[in-house]
Amino acid sequence: MRNVAIIGVGYTPVFVSKRKDVNIVEMISESVGAALNNTGLTPDDIQAVTYGNMQTFEGVNLPHLWTSDHMRALNKPTIRISTGGTTGMSTLQAAYYYVASGMYDLVMAVTWEKQSEGDSQVGLSGIVVPEAMTMVQHGMDLFSGKGMGFGGGGSTGAASYQAMSYLHHSGASPEHIDKMAALERSNAALNPYAHLRKKTTVEDVQATPMVAFPLRFGHTCPTSDGATTAIVASEEMVNKLTDGNVAWIVGLGSATSDPCTANFLEGQITDPAEQMPAKIASEKAYKMAGIEDPGRELDMCEMYNGFAHQSLMWLEKLGVCKEGEAHKMLDAGALNIEGEMPTNASGGVFSTNAIGASAMNRPTECALQIMRKIEGGHQIPKKIKKALSHGWGGMFQYVTVMVLADEPVSS
Amino acid sequence: MAEKAERSVVEVEVPLDFTYNYRVGQYLERYIKGLGEKKILGVRCSGCSKVTVPPRNFCGACNRVMDEWVEVGPEGTVENYTIGHVKVERGAVEKLDEPRLLAMVKLEGATVPLLAEVKGMAASELENGLRVKAVFKDPVSDSLADLSHFEPVGQEVK
Ligand SMILES: [Zn+2]
Repeated sequence: MRNVAIIGVGYTPVFVSKRKDVNIVEMISESVGAALNNTGLTPDDIQAVTYGNMQTFEGVNLPHLWTSDHMRALNKPTIRISTGGTTGMSTLQAAYYYVASGMYDLVMAVTWEKQSEGDSQVGLSGIVVPEAMTMVQHGMDLFSGKGMGFGGGGSTGAASYQAMSYLHHSGASPEHIDKMAALERSNAALNPYAHLRKKTTVEDVQATPMVAFPLRFGHTCPTSDGATTAIVASEEMVNKLTDGNVAWIVGLGSATSDPCTANFLEGQITDPAEQMPAKIASEKAYKMAGIEDPGRELDMCEMYNGFAHQSLMWLEKLGVCKEGEAHKMLDAGALNIEGEMPTNASGGVFSTNAIGASAMNRPTECALQIMRKIEGGHQIPKKIKKALSHGWGGMFQYVTVMVLADEPVSS
Repeated sequence: MAEKAERSVVEVEVPLDFTYNYRVGQYLERYIKGLGEKKILGVRCSGCSKVTVPPRNFCGACNRVMDEWVEVGPEGTVENYTIGHVKVERGAVEKLDEPRLLAMVKLEGATVPLLAEVKGMAASELENGLRVKAVFKDPVSDSLADLSHFEPVGQEVK
């Protein structure tokens, strides 16, 4: 396979709860235009486009084809990818496959969500029906117990079971969730492309209402409007078109377990905090990247965290530290922007969630950190040689991983 | 062999109330405001000179934002048409009492045709090349419906 790098990134000017001033295709056009501007490329240079957003969230069918001219995809192959929360990274992975395979040299990955236009709870209820069918197939009684996890308020109710299991197994306390939430919200305050940008204290988080123990309102992510585009290139194109300041995609992986949203508590097939796919996908990515000791060799992490306990959980599941160690790293300041393992310097999904773009913003944040092109105040001071990005979603069970680096693995 | 009886195992009722909050964007907003002044606005691409109605923000072929606003119409030419004999009401197809004349009208000054309804003439007389004129609602209501329909040129406006 050929070496592939991210050579440029384009964001919408802002990520906010309601972009009333533009329609969907105009918003996507902004991020595509920014990516082209940032790379000095024209649409003619781009050979193929991959495109990702959530199924049903805006109630728009075939959105990739609707967007074709606004995203400069006229006359080019265009494929839509929709894998739930991981959509953004899956879309970038697809662009990677195009280039790594030798089929194309310059491919653009376009991801977005405009959550204000649809109804994400209706979108999620599209997931309820297959859940119900799976439960019936597993011989579960749908109506006797606490199925669906909706008693605790939609996806937060389902995530509360995961958070409890994580706390139980790790020895972390609910206060560690508050602390991680405050850290990431404060990081987001430095990031012009973050949605909730307010310096936040642990006390601020603790003052928010409890949704489903141990998760408070201050532990949950917003719904955002925004788009992100990344352009990936072959090594030949990197040499031809750039000054070499790019971010190489040196390892990737993805894996699924069985669905483990909290409705399965009645059958307890898989603990939602087990997250074996994270281990499988990251081990594959590390092997590809030549990483033997992730905790030592990685310089930063960008985790997909719809909920504030998850960054800590992922650090353990992705092998960055041992089980039960993440909250100790937090207490020691290691996860701060100036720390040994800066984690979600961007503020994470927890602070900005335009879902289709959310798992894309993890590797793009890593890429811009490596290239030292971070806008705002959250540039990590130390040199970043290797960065870990992560996506998560589906029925709480699909994980994507991408390792980025300042140089290719073999050249 | 006897047929096995089917039995419903479970029935799940999931009522969905989906409200679209589609944002039309600044271009269509300006178009709608124009209709409220009984004007039909389009936008010209500085690359290929194409005038699009209703206006859209971006010309993919030229890779540029279209930003030259022009007034088109109110007269135009039927470029293509169909005659509707049925309507779809809550998923059911019903026969119309009167056929509806639906046309693609290329307005004066525009490059692309606008989809519109034609009234005030017999279906048998509708043909490509027919000159038609926009009829606005009176009073206007600052909505897309302000452009009510088209009528053959020369006919009295109702
Ligand atoms: Zn043009």
